[in-house]
Amino acid sequence: MNQPQNNRLALVIGSGAVKCAAALGVWKVLNRVGIEVDLLVGCSGGSLFATTMALGYSVDECIELTQRLWNRSITRKRDTRSFLKALLPQVFKFDERFGMFDDHAMLKNLRAVFGESTFTETVVPLYLVATDFHTGEPVVLDRGTLVDALRASISVPFIWRPWRVGERLLIDGAVSNPLPVDVAIREGVELILAVGFETPAPRRIKSISRFVFHLNSVMTNNLYRANFAFHNLAHHAEIITVMPDFTQQVTLFDTYLIPYVIQQGEHAMEQQLPYLQRLLGEIHSS
Amino acid sequence: MEMNPLEAGTGRKKVALVIGSGGAKCAAALGLWQVLQEEGIQISMAVGSSGGSIYAAAISLGFDLHTTEELTLSLWTRDLMEGYATNLRRAMTGEARFNESSGLIDDGPLTERLRQAFGAASFNDARIPLYIVSTDFYTGESVVHDDGPVLDALRASIAIPMIIPPWQVGDRLLVDGAVSDPLPVDVAIKEGAQVILAMGFELPIRKRMRSYTAVTTHLNSLYMNNILKSTFAFHNLAHHAEVVLLLPELDPAIGAFSAEQFPTVIAEGARSAREQLPYLRRLLSTQPVD
Amino acid sequence: MEIKTSYHDQVAVVTIEGSIDALTSAEVSAHLAGQISQGYHQLILDLNQVEYMSSAGLRAIMDGLKASRQSGGDLRLAAPQPGVDKVLRMAGFPSIMKSFPSLAEAAASFKD
Repeated sequence: MNQPQNNRLALVIGSGAVKCAAALGVWKVLNRVGIEVDLLVGCSGGSLFATTMALGYSVDECIELTQRLWNRSITRKRDTRSFLKALLPQVFKFDERFGMFDDHAMLKNLRAVFGESTFTETVVPLYLVATDFHTGEPVVLDRGTLVDALRASISVPFIWRPWRVGERLLIDGAVSNPLPVDVAIREGVELILAVGFETPAPRRIKSISRFVFHLNSVMTNNLYRANFAFHNLAHHAEIITVMPDFTQQVTLFDTYLIPYVIQQGEHAMEQQLPYLQRLLGEIHSS
Repeated sequence: MEMNPLEAGTGRKKVALVIGSGGAKCAAALGLWQVLQEEGIQISMAVGSSGGSIYAAAISLGFDLHTTEELTLSLWTRDLMEGYATNLRRAMTGEARFNESSGLIDDGPLTERLRQAFGAASFNDARIPLYIVSTDFYTGESVVHDDGPVLDALRASIAIPMIIPPWQVGDRLLVDGAVSDPLPVDVAIKEGAQVILAMGFELPIRKRMRSYTAVTTHLNSLYMNNILKSTFAFHNLAHHAEVVLLLPELDPAIGAFSAEQFPTVIAEGARSAREQLPYLRRLLSTQPVD
Repeated sequence: MEIKTSYHDQVAVVTIEGSIDALTSAEVSAHLAGQISQGYHQLILDLNQVEYMSSAGLRAIMDGLKASRQSGGDLRLAAPQPGVDKVLRMAGFPSIMKSFPSLAEAAASFKD
C-alpha cells in the first residue's frame, strides 16, 4: 500500500538507537484510545519500529520482535579485518565500506523477522530514510525489500558498513535527516506526531574513535534541531513533538532498558493525548 | 552628479555582512568588501564563522588589503599539516593519548600566526560591530563571541575538529563554528539587521576514500553541508527582510593557496558580489524604516 | 486561552494565559497583528502563564516577530516556563530572537 487513505495523522520516528523503542509506548497509547495512523516514517533506529508497526503487528508482537532484532549478539563480534584496515590502510586495501562491527548477525536477525517482505505488504504506508554516502542527500525508501531499506537506514557510520541499494551506497538517515517530518509534510498529512530524541553526547573521550563518535553525535543533534526548526515553519498545520524523558543514559547497546524506554514513551504520549484528541476532533468536524 | 541615496541623510538600512566557513576560500569575502566600498554601501555589522571569522575580523578591525593578503598566505600553508600522518597512526594504535583537547596537528605555528596578525585586538577595537561564532564542544551549541580578545574567538572558531585542537575560553571548550552554525545569518537577524549579505561555501565532497581519515573527513563534510543547508533554510524563513546569498565559484580543491591565486579568489568574490549589485541597490534605496 | 495587553511607554506587553497551539494560534496572531497596526512595534510576549506551546504556536510568534521588525520594531519573549523554553530551543528561536527570564529584563532591553 503506497497511497495514504486519509491524510489525517502521521507518525514519524526519528533516530535514537535503543531510545526509539519509546515509539512502541506511543503506539500503545494510540491503540488503546483507537487513534489510527495514516502514514509511518522512520529514520535510523526509528525505522525498525516504523516497519513493525506498518506491517500491522500488535504492540506486544512489536515488542517481542524488537527484542529479537536488537540484542547484544549484533554488536558482539568486532570486525577484525575492518579494524586492521583502519590501522594499516596500505597493507589491507581500504575502501568506504568500512564498518567496525560484523553485520552478519544483524542481517540474520532482520531476515528472520522480515524475510523477503516488501513495502507493498505493509498495511500502513511506510517511508524509511537513509543518506546517500557520496552526496550526503537524504534518500527516501518506499519500495523493494524491507530488509534492504532497514539495513541501509540504520548504517551508523563506523558501526556498520554502508549498504548498497540499487545504484546508491547508503548510510544512516541521521546524517541528513534525523527526524524526517518533511516526508510527512510532503505527503500532505495534516497532523504529525514526531517522536524524536536528542543525542546526549558522551563526555569521557579517551581515544580518537570516541572523539569521532562524539562529533557525529553532536552534529546529528545540530542537524536534528536545524531541520526541525525549518520544518516547523514550513508546515501549514500541526506537528506534535513527543520527546520522552530519560533519567538515565540509554546508549546504543542498552537493550535491556527497552521496557523502561517503552514506558517513558507511554508517559510522553499520555501528556500530549488530550491535545491530540481535541485536534482530531476538530478535523473530524470540519 | 546624482547623490548616492545611501549617503543621504538618516535612517539607512542596517546591512550585515556574514562570512561562513570555507577555509582559505573565505578570502573571497575581500572581493565583496571591495565592491561594497566602491558602492559606498556601509555595513552595520560583520559576522563570521570558522574560516569566515578571520575575514569578518580583518574587515571590522580595518585591516588593509595588503595586510589581509599577508595574513591569508601565512595562515593557510601546507606545512600546517606537518606531523598529521604520524600523529594519526599513533592515536589509532593508542601509542599517543587522544582526548577532547587533542588535534592531529601541532597548533603552535597556527596560533602564533594568528597572534602576529591580531595581537591584543579586542572586540571593542572593531570599527564595525563584530560577532564570531564557535561551538561548545560538549553540548554542540553555537557560541557567539562579541567581547574580549579577538584572538581567542578566532582560534576557537577555526578549530576544525580532529585536526586543530579545541580551544579553551573561560570555562568552555570550543571548536569550529561550522559544527553548529556554518553561516551565521541568525546572529545578524537577532542583532536587527535588515539586509543580510551572506557569503557561503559548501565543503568539497571527495570521490574516493582510501583511509580512515578520508572517510571521517568526508562524513564531517556531509554533516556540515547538511547543517549549512538546514540552518540556512530556517534562517531564511525566519527573517523578515532579505538575505542575499553569495556563493562564489571557486575550485573546490582550494585548501591552501599561493600568492598567485590570491587575486583570482578575490576577483571571484567581487564578481559574485557585482552579480547581485543591481538588486542590492534597489533593496537599499527604497525608503528605509526608522 | 486568554490574552491581556498593557502598555508601558511605547512597549506593548501581551500576556497570554493557557496554551498557544493550533486551536488558539490564529487568535494570538491576529492580536499581535492588531497591536502592530495600532502603532505598537515594540512588543513583549509574556509567557509566564503559558504552559504549552506547539508548532502552530511557534509560527504565530514568528509571524508577530517578522511583522514587528518590518515596522522597525521587535518582538521579545519574557519568562518562558521550562517546558515551553525547551520547545523554543528545539525550534531554533533563541538564535533569532531575544528572550529574557523576566518581564522586567525584557522591558529594560527596549530601553537600550
